[in-house]
Amino acid sequence: MASFGWKRKVGEKVSKTAVQQFVAEAEKPEDAGPRREDEVDWLHAIKRRKEILLEDCAAKSKRLKEEGAELAGHGRHWEAIKKLDEAIELTPDNPLLYEMKSQVLTILQEVFPAVKAAEMAVKLRPLWWEGWQTVGRAQLNLGEVDLAVRSFQVAIHLCPSERSLWQEDLEWAWRLQKQEMATKEKTRQEEETKNQILNAPELKQDFDFESDEVLAACVAVAERQTRYEELKRTTVVMDAEGNIKSVLTGEGGSEEPSTDTFVKARGL
Amino acid sequence: MSTQYSILFKQEHAHDDAIWTAAWGKSEADGSDTIVTGSLDDMVKVWKWCDEKLELQWSLEGHQLGVVSVDISHNGAIAASSSLDAHIRLWDLESGKQIKSMDAGPVDAWSVAFSPDSKYIATGSHHGKVNIFGVESGKKEHSLDTRGKFILSIAYSPDGKYLASGAIDGIINIFDIATGKLLHTLEGHAMPIRSLTFSPDSQLLVTASDDGYIKIYDVQHANLAGTLSGHGSWVLNVAFSPDSKHFVSSSSDKSVKVWDVGTRACINTFFDHQDQVWSVKYNSTGSKIISAGDDRSIHIYDCPM
Repeated sequence: MASFGWKRKVGEKVSKTAVQQFVAEAEKPEDAGPRREDEVDWLHAIKRRKEILLEDCAAKSKRLKEEGAELAGHGRHWEAIKKLDEAIELTPDNPLLYEMKSQVLTILQEVFPAVKAAEMAVKLRPLWWEGWQTVGRAQLNLGEVDLAVRSFQVAIHLCPSERSLWQEDLEWAWRLQKQEMATKEKTRQEEETKNQILNAPELKQDFDFESDEVLAACVAVAERQTRYEELKRTTVVMDAEGNIKSVLTGEGGSEEPSTDTFVKARGL
Repeated sequence: MSTQYSILFKQEHAHDDAIWTAAWGKSEADGSDTIVTGSLDDMVKVWKWCDEKLELQWSLEGHQLGVVSVDISHNGAIAASSSLDAHIRLWDLESGKQIKSMDAGPVDAWSVAFSPDSKYIATGSHHGKVNIFGVESGKKEHSLDTRGKFILSIAYSPDGKYLASGAIDGIINIFDIATGKLLHTLEGHAMPIRSLTFSPDSQLLVTASDDGYIKIYDVQHANLAGTLSGHGSWVLNVAFSPDSKHFVSSSSDKSVKVWDVGTRACINTFFDHQDQVWSVKYNSTGSKIISAGDDRSIHIYDCPM
């Protein structure tokens, strides 16, 4: 038996937990009854052990997932992450684990890892709308509004009857996107006005200093200056209906996204 | 004329994001083949199919979110598109100008389908109502109530007698258009019905569902005439061939399959897309098939005649 190299076959990429599991399983059948001569049916033995191992990994992973959900439910988020990571080591193809991990990471404000985890979930199961919803929410937390709008649209396209996607996720992200665009447009206007003040076309001519032209040019420049000051003092805000307007600073209250600290345990 | 199924043309990167919908029409005015595609990139694009290749004719801007569904009027002059921004837009295919924009109300515009006389556009809605808009008026003119769930798919029978709708819970409803009465309710699938299509003689209805099956119904008696399996994942789109003998399906398993109606067997599978194939259609004679999907490319296939 010593010559038989389970462990040599096990590459470095295989997780420690899985290896331990495997070794433990491999040792058990040793004393399980006598073997027929030396001609052991290795092929089937290997297959059988592999199945046992897989089954065991799945069961253990499921337990770890449930423990993770339980811990997250009690606000012990880092411990939950640890459990989910262990579960992921055992069953790296399970999208539910990545999606749950993303939700917990979001609560912990680990915004970038949350996006990564959620993206892994939809990579494994691209038709899963809840996965795309989690991707979108994680992207929104990271400030990637355009990407979030896209992810929510993918989610809706997969499951258009899910009202929360329309009414909470897409609507909010889309409003943010519009606001961002309006803010960019305002900055552009500001720049343009500033440039016009600095390189006023009226000042480039040769003036007859006796004429009214000088006065007109001065008025034009002054007007631009006022407009620039005005632009500087305003800020882009949105009202409850999502209409965008510019108001004087100090008036507009900023809206905060509702922080949803509820972790949904993914069944299936 | 080709004697076997083959891929004829690939337009890579036809849009900047996933293509969700495509339609193939023929212009009565000049006999040209027009293809319209809609994408998650908010754009509607109009292509001409001539000399065995696609030429981009118009990029139509207007929708503010992804375009879910497009259809072309039967004379080939107008295209309709619906988007997640809850607007249905009508476009003049000749000039590339928007004719109308109709606010369907939140979540009330999904699949769009022109009536056979092209005077109306039917669209499904959130509350299980089929809303029928007048092309001329640009307003909602009728409403058919299935009393069911979100309607994902809509089809008019070519003879103008029936309208079929497929819901997210797998229920199929068939209406009599003249009376507006609900004729049949079929509990066809247990999962969303993303597409349905009538045979050219209006006798058969083919449905595609997330359960991976395609079902064929006898419309008059509302009998199930067959259940077809073959796709490994959701069936996203089905379209009947004008030759009445074949129909084509596309799936999230990345394949496009051509089926024989008589034998109910899959006679050809195209495995040319790299991602989910959201849309598949025949041209007006049944000699070509178009498919498009998440890989942003448009494929045109040759069919034996």
